[in-house]
Amino acid sequence: VKRDGTGYQRLLRWYPREWRDRYGEEFLAMMEDTLDGRRLTLRLRISVARGGLRERRHQVRTRLTGRTTAKRLERVFRLLVAFLAGSVAATIPATVKASPPPARAWLAAAAQDALIAVCALAGLCILAGGAVALPAFGRFLRAGGWPKIRRRAIWAAGATAAAGGGLTWLVVAPRDQTYVKLTGSWAYTLGVTVTAIALAIAFWLWAASATAAARHLRLAAGVRAAEKMVSTVIVATVLFMIPLQDFWYAAIQPSASQLFAGLSLFVLAGVATHGMLRAAVRRSRRLLAKAPR
Amino acid sequence: MASSRRAEGLRRPTDPPLLILVSLAEGPKHGHALAKDIEDFAGVRLGPGALYGAITRLDERGLIEAVGCDDRRRPYRITAPGSAALAEALADMQHVARVGVARLRLQGHHA
Repeated sequence: VKRDGTGYQRLLRWYPREWRDRYGEEFLAMMEDTLDGRRLTLRLRISVARGGLRERRHQVRTRLTGRTTAKRLERVFRLLVAFLAGSVAATIPATVKASPPPARAWLAAAAQDALIAVCALAGLCILAGGAVALPAFGRFLRAGGWPKIRRRAIWAAGATAAAGGGLTWLVVAPRDQTYVKLTGSWAYTLGVTVTAIALAIAFWLWAASATAAARHLRLAAGVRAAEKMVSTVIVATVLFMIPLQDFWYAAIQPSASQLFAGLSLFVLAGVATHGMLRAAVRRSRRLLAKAPR
Repeated sequence: MASSRRAEGLRRPTDPPLLILVSLAEGPKHGHALAKDIEDFAGVRLGPGALYGAITRLDERGLIEAVGCDDRRRPYRITAPGSAALAEALADMQHVARVGVARLRLQGHHA
């Protein structure tokens, strides 16, 4: 019985993709042990097909009855975070052209510096998260894991290329136009919107690819705990980007309501970050406690 | 309570989830070891589809959990809620068996 492409792997297609991602490898290992080199029997084929169809039915049912509401909410939250990050990144090329009134220059400079620091922290966390998982990822690729994440990675790379093109246009197109002119131009506003959406899709697809790859990696409990903390900090940095940008807008076009919105969002981001970090620490401790010694 | 257990497949002695919990009560096992053990102690041959269907449901409900290891053959162990659910299911079965045996004896006495 061939494992690659024609035998067991093909049988696995009876199951939904999420199930294959989670249980596929161990299921194949069990089939190998059960058959021990013998031919795949009709009884086994029927058992697998029935199991796969039952799993698909279960998945449809749980989706309809809302048992996965928490997961759906988590997905919406991730999409929202990706969109927030995309919209902040897409508006940066225009904001560097603005000149704040002298009385509020300190606020603009402070908001801009804080925004840069938060972006840098997010970048560092992404690099750190990748670095700790790199050895396991290398082993996964060497063991022939690439086909399992190929489709997601190609889509993510495509979205990144589109977002990169959009960002380049936003930087190059305005040339010597002022911030006020840029924000009044419908073409530029459309460009910012499209680029923000492309960036959000790219962020979301990369996050989905990383999650899918992580399911296949054999990571030590310590590494898993570190990944949880790092991903929480990344989300927190995105939450802080919005109020910081609000402070910057409040400095450029002095507005009390914008300043109030910035302050409110800053407090909300702080509260959300505190909750998320506590939950992440709890989950990380649980992971470490469960790890075999 | 009985209906929730029925949904979890812990009502009849040949329900795959119940057999899996009984097998894991002895210690962690991977898929093939579970199938062999169940065949040994219960005489029930679970196909891969039925076995992994039950493992998936038990895992989802937190009654069992995967043990972190580097092997493709990922072992599972019973959790505290899994042990509690198994104990309750077995106590119910024991009660029915005890009543059944007692009534049979009573019938034999009258005859």
